[in-house]
Amino acid sequence: MLVLLAWRNLWRRPQRTLLSLASIALVVALLICMLSFQRGVYATMKENNLRVFDGYAQLQPEGYADDPAIDRVIDDPGRVARDALAIKGVSTAAARVNGFGILANGERSYGALIAGVDPASEAQLSTIAATVHEGRYLNDTDSDAAVLGELLARNLQVTVGGRVSVLGAARDGSVGADVLKVVGIFRSGIPQLDRSILEMPLARAQQAFDMSDRANTIALGGPTLAAVDAALPRLDALGARHGIAVLDWKELEPAMRDAIALKYTMSLLLYLTLVAVVAFIILNALLMSVLERTHEFGVLLAIGMRARAIALMVWLELLSLALAGCLAGYAIGGGTAWWLEKRGISFGSLGELLAQYGLPPRLYPTLDLVSAATGPVAILLAIVLGGIVPYLRVARLTAVAAMRSA
Amino acid sequence: MTRRATTGRLRAARAPPLLGSLLLACASAGEAATTGSPDPDALLRRAFEAYRARSSHSSVAMTVHRPQWERHLEMKVWTRGEDDALVRFVAPPKDAGNATLKVGENIWVFNPKLNEVIKLPVSMMSQSWMGSDFSYNDLSKSEELLEWYEHRLTATEQADGHTLWTIESSPKAGAPVVWGKVAVKIRDDEVFTEEVFFDQDLKPVRRMQTQKIGPLGGRAYPLIMTMQPVDSPGQWTRIETLQGEFDLTLPEYLFTLSNLQYPRQ
Repeated sequence: MLVLLAWRNLWRRPQRTLLSLASIALVVALLICMLSFQRGVYATMKENNLRVFDGYAQLQPEGYADDPAIDRVIDDPGRVARDALAIKGVSTAAARVNGFGILANGERSYGALIAGVDPASEAQLSTIAATVHEGRYLNDTDSDAAVLGELLARNLQVTVGGRVSVLGAARDGSVGADVLKVVGIFRSGIPQLDRSILEMPLARAQQAFDMSDRANTIALGGPTLAAVDAALPRLDALGARHGIAVLDWKELEPAMRDAIALKYTMSLLLYLTLVAVVAFIILNALLMSVLERTHEFGVLLAIGMRARAIALMVWLELLSLALAGCLAGYAIGGGTAWWLEKRGISFGSLGELLAQYGLPPRLYPTLDLVSAATGPVAILLAIVLGGIVPYLRVARLTAVAAMRSA
Repeated sequence: MTRRATTGRLRAARAPPLLGSLLLACASAGEAATTGSPDPDALLRRAFEAYRARSSHSSVAMTVHRPQWERHLEMKVWTRGEDDALVRFVAPPKDAGNATLKVGENIWVFNPKLNEVIKLPVSMMSQSWMGSDFSYNDLSKSEELLEWYEHRLTATEQADGHTLWTIESSPKAGAPVVWGKVAVKIRDDEVFTEEVFFDQDLKPVRRMQTQKIGPLGGRAYPLIMTMQPVDSPGQWTRIETLQGEFDLTLPEYLFTLSNLQYPRQ
């Protein structure tokens, strides 16, 4: 009965109500679209960056992240990798030997990460294999072969078919040395990697660095980052069983995590401002209508309606306004985001700029629970809580004072 | 705040110069009377000169200790002045033939398996040398302490019949150095007994201590020294000088790239 009354009251002033509805709907739609876009972009950014080399998660010896010394090892990496692959959400496990050492070609020499990799699993996990633009990637029959980043190759002045000397510290403290033939040169799109990584076959690296049947890290891949994130509890259990650490993407790329957190914080300020502004507009309109109707409320009180019931009715007016606005906004914003999610947003000439951040030229918003619900819930909450002000005001009214005041 | 504290300490140390030198003179009897209140710069310089001499040729054993393993290496070392040094490993067989040449601040390494001389890239200077707790920087910038730091005498003590000075060295403004502070202890016979390296936050990072001082080539010499990172207790590198000759005339070809690859000596 009160709800009906409230709804009828709203439409006594259709113009004001429609305007209020429009402002709520607009902000809700904006919030949904912007949040979906942000979440979509960040998800793509994360996945694209992680897929270059890190993987969606990594198994590492305890303490390796702080001090990546070659003598911190995972024993029997084959068995650990098989255990990891048995976990739902993990589809690739690539064991690696990470030697930091010197690469030399004649008089030129540079420090680099010398990664011993298993070509088959590495090609699934990391995009490096796909970005080889000269020569080819490593294969299972390779022995003294190597692929290296474009900038590293340029610095060393080595081309496909050339030879590179590798010198680094082996696990037992002796000198690990090898001569490799360059079979491919890659352009991962991340300059730091193109300047600093050489990949060679795992078995050969294990031999050169005294790492037989050992690895430094196992990089993990899956259908999506979310799938691997969901597998983390089981991976942690696996890590505990083997005495090794599990690093999720945030620990692998703390800079990216911080950058994303910072962006969210900045946008949060904007979102809060939007919500606050629209809440104030709506409350203002309602307060006006309350003042206008004080005499009417007085009459209602005089004929026996309790002040609290009237206040509740006013509050319900606000609530139904907010709900209707949210629904409308939800339809507009959700529809737009959904459509864009299917179609993608093309940035035309900005595509190259995006590529620098590891983003494809077409971006896809992600409409999920968080991006769809945050905006409407925030607005509803703000309005419902703000509604306490008119509620208290009306609840304190007495019949005589109310009728006299107008 | 720190500045004030430092100057405060300085003043405290300087306040009774007369009393200080008097005490010093009494304590170390006639021998130290000539030293008076030593100038830390000169003290350091003399210690470095005594350590490396004009030239040297020595046999050195190096023990690298890790929680999981320990390695023993033997090498022959030639040095000339502060710029030139050649280290050639002779044992164990796995490492024999590896060699390191330093000329000025440049370092080249020779590896017998590659049969190739490789110039060490600048980015690798901070890496471990032959798996030890020494870095290539320790070789190439061994005497940057003299050039880039300001020194002050912070303590004088007596031990085993010797006077022991502690010198704290802080980098000069804008100095291109790694350490935030270095504290050196020098005995009155110009032997280093301890060297502690601090990071930029002035926390000790690693400590080199002299375990045995003995006569070598007509001088007192730190025969056994151990370098240990402060936060890794199970990890150290010990350097033991087995034989040594100083101030000899070394052939010019010794410190060349061709000699590094095709040894003549």
